Amino acid sequence: MSAAQTNAEPFGPLTPSMFHVLLALAGDDLHGYAILKEVELRTGGKVRLSTGTLYGIIKRLLSDGLIVELRSRPAESEDDERRRYYRLTPQGRQVATAEAERMDELLSIARSRNLLKKTRTA
Amino acid sequence: MAAADSRATRFYRVLLRLLPFDFRSDFGPEMETVFQEQHKEAGRLDGATGVLRLWWETIVGIFRTAPGEHLAMFRQDAGFALRMMRKNPGYTLAAILTLGLGIGANSAIFSVVNAVLLKPLPYEHGDRLVTLHQQAPRAGMLNQPFSVAEINDYRTQSHSLDGLVEYHNMNFILLGRSEPERVETGVVSWNYFEVFGVKPLFGRAFRPEDEQPGAPAVLMLSYEYWIRSFGGDPTVVNKTFTMNDRPHTVVGILPPVPQYPDENDVYMPTTACPFRSRPAFIANRQARMMQGFGRMKPGISVRQARADLNGVAANLQQAYPKEYPPSIDYSMATSSLEEDLTHNARPTMLVLLGAAGFVLLIACANVANLNLSRMVRRERELAVRAALGAGRVRMFRQLLTESSLLALLGGGLGLLFSWGALNLLMSFAARFTPRAREIHLDATVLLFTLAVAVLTSLLSGTAPALAAREAVVGSLKEGGSQSTMGRGRHRMRSLLIVAQVAVSFLLLIGAGLMLRSFAKLQQVDPGFQPENVLTMQIGLDFTKYNTDDKQRAFFETFLDKVEAQSGVKSAAASMMIPLNGDMHMTGDFMIEGQKPVPGQVHPISDFRVVSEGYFETLHIPVLQGRGFTRADRPGAPSVAIVNRAAARHYWGGQDPLGKRFSADAGKSWVQIAGVVGDVKQYGLDKDAVDEIYVPMAQNPLMDAILVIKTTAEPMSIARSVIELLYAVDPNQPVARVRSLEQVRAESVAAPRLTTNLLGLFALLALAIAATGIGGVMALAVGQRRHEIGVRMAIGARPTEILRMILRQGMALVLFGVAFGLLGALWLTRLLQQLLFEVAPTDPLTYVGVALVLGFAALVACYVPARRAARVDPIVALRTE
Repeated sequence: MSAAQTNAEPFGPLTPSMFHVLLALAGDDLHGYAILKEVELRTGGKVRLSTGTLYGIIKRLLSDGLIVELRSRPAESEDDERRRYYRLTPQGRQVATAEAERMDELLSIARSRNLLKKTRTA
Repeated sequence: MAAADSRATRFYRVLLRLLPFDFRSDFGPEMETVFQEQHKEAGRLDGATGVLRLWWETIVGIFRTAPGEHLAMFRQDAGFALRMMRKNPGYTLAAILTLGLGIGANSAIFSVVNAVLLKPLPYEHGDRLVTLHQQAPRAGMLNQPFSVAEINDYRTQSHSLDGLVEYHNMNFILLGRSEPERVETGVVSWNYFEVFGVKPLFGRAFRPEDEQPGAPAVLMLSYEYWIRSFGGDPTVVNKTFTMNDRPHTVVGILPPVPQYPDENDVYMPTTACPFRSRPAFIANRQARMMQGFGRMKPGISVRQARADLNGVAANLQQAYPKEYPPSIDYSMATSSLEEDLTHNARPTMLVLLGAAGFVLLIACANVANLNLSRMVRRERELAVRAALGAGRVRMFRQLLTESSLLALLGGGLGLLFSWGALNLLMSFAARFTPRAREIHLDATVLLFTLAVAVLTSLLSGTAPALAAREAVVGSLKEGGSQSTMGRGRHRMRSLLIVAQVAVSFLLLIGAGLMLRSFAKLQQVDPGFQPENVLTMQIGLDFTKYNTDDKQRAFFETFLDKVEAQSGVKSAAASMMIPLNGDMHMTGDFMIEGQKPVPGQVHPISDFRVVSEGYFETLHIPVLQGRGFTRADRPGAPSVAIVNRAAARHYWGGQDPLGKRFSADAGKSWVQIAGVVGDVKQYGLDKDAVDEIYVPMAQNPLMDAILVIKTTAEPMSIARSVIELLYAVDPNQPVARVRSLEQVRAESVAAPRLTTNLLGLFALLALAIAATGIGGVMALAVGQRRHEIGVRMAIGARPTEILRMILRQGMALVLFGVAFGLLGALWLTRLLQQLLFEVAPTDPLTYVGVALVLGFAALVACYVPARRAARVDPIVALRTE
């Protein structure tokens, strides 16, 4: 059992939407609208979060300490007063990693049962 | 476009309102920005379709998120509230107990009101049942029973009823069990239970053939008798018992329904009653013995039935002018059975419910005050939370969650209280109505309790929540000066104290008036001495003692034996004893020498049959002439003794001794041999009526009550008297063995219990209010330690401080009493009909209650005041 898993457990299973948000923030610190766009882009428009869903997730992730709101803001030019930026915490990263590993294990099983093609790329 | 945008934003803001306040205040503005960007882009990329899609997704998203967020918020609030409650066990316990008492008082009284006044009668046709009473007010006859001919006439001539049944009560003697048993028997029409809509629990109801002359004798057992005497054994159906001289077969057992007009052990069809079956009785239109009940046809109102039955009454007057002369003003009174069953209980129950409501108000005010006091300590917490961004609404909700948890726990405790009091309540309500047995903590009571708890949480939680808002506002201003915040809250606390004192005053006045009224009732001279008198009822077996001589002989023999018993001073028998609530015998008579004027009302009086030792045994004074003696026998001149009221009423200025009257239209004349004192026959609160006593030897009785004056505690010789009875006739049962003092106490049991309950509520209110005043003053003193220290440092003496605090506390009390006085003057009118010889504005009560309340408040204020007076100025100034 990895350390990440131990840490992840108290937060229970991540919903797919939560995982998407974590994934979006795994790349860069983003504000709300950017998270939405990132998720939409990464999933080829298959996953579109609404504001209600997104902020429900953000509230949950904030209170679980998986993300934080950034105190320092990006350069003035690209900033909007009302925008808030979020960053993945180390703990959030662990949880996201644990979830990714869990999925990876599932995928390996699926492959070994010939439910999926072997890895497409090296 | 900008206009469209702003419209979209406005609509989006409305949508956001579905989310909890905190969520909104945390993320609202940001969500709005994001939405605006989404909206802009959707319009740019996909036009109207894109915008529509965005709206759809957004609305669904908000609706999906909102419930979970609300629930999470509630969980958080409740968890926090529970933590706070655990942290302050003293406060929590006090609040739950106070609310429990307040809510418990309400659910207990409501369970009675619900069963007695609100629920429909547990008879299937309860709402269609009416009671019928013949009225002849000018012959002094109200609520007259019916004769057989009258029952038949009303049954055949009425159009509004689809059933009319008769009832009368008598007693049979059940033999073959360990001791002969007197069995109270309801004698009824065969379809009596069918008309009421009561189906037997076991066996069958009566059938028409059961009521045919000569039919085999059958019985139905009342539920209570079945449980009491047969342990609820259903195999008793079809068994045969000897009652008097005849075998009777049990055909059915009744379910537990309120029995009206009497609680009977068994029921029989009319033909089972030997008196009711006599041809002479049936033929005599004026031999009235039975009560009538009707069932209105569906859709008929009581008013319509009344008009219809009065039409029949008019027909009877036409057809039988001799029996119903116009001079007596004959008519039929029709009232709903439900009304008849509950009208005694209504005023008392409503007064008690009102009182319980007031107790709850005081409890709420007290918990609100406790809450407010706690606010002082929680000020920092609230300020910190406000600074951390907890909104006002959030704090309001947090505090309301706390108060609702307290109220719910209080409600649970209250239910426990009322559950514990259920049996007491039933025996209390039984004094007023036969419906008492229906009292349960049912779903309606539970729902009522929940509603009361919710109301309570609003009442007790709103004031502190408002104060919290003030605290938050205050904390935002210049570092939140303690004193400005404190002042508003102090005003609120003072207001709550004034309200508590006012309501307590009101309740105490109510209880005080009842107490005064009850004391007056106790002081009433009943006209006889109930001390050391044993009473018991002996109903002779009418089959065995079937002649006047046999009846007379039985009682004379038995009374002689009783009088010879050691411990017995004297013994007598009477048709009825005072304050027993017995039925009475009223009749009209002619006074010799006074010509009856046609159309004028005849003289009317109560008639009582008593044996010769009656006046002596009950210490009813013989004012003139003599009492009865053994010489007043058949063959000797008929004599009577009148009471003082009758003597004054009918013989006015003259000496009634030796005067004669006739109760049979001049066929025979009775001479007045004496005048005795008036007796409160029908209740200590009722005036003595005109009474004419006749000797038992000349008017033998079959059912009599023995009165035995004893030298010691009367119940101590009861057993030996019963043994004497069995020695005279081993098959003769005895019933209702009680002391006359018990009879007297029971006659005032209803007002006594009402007074006790109201007194309990008032004391509860006083205790809650007094602790409230004490608590608030203690807190005020605690907050003003510094000020008091300064005052003392500049020379104020402890007694001055003491007086200052007392003055401030008592000022609140004075205000409360003033408001309470206004309320009492306005509300105690409602008590009027429960009061006896006490005006609702009785000054003595008002002054007394003000003194009691003032004293209690003074004591409550004195403790904190003394603490204030003992403040050490040096310590007080240093700590600040």
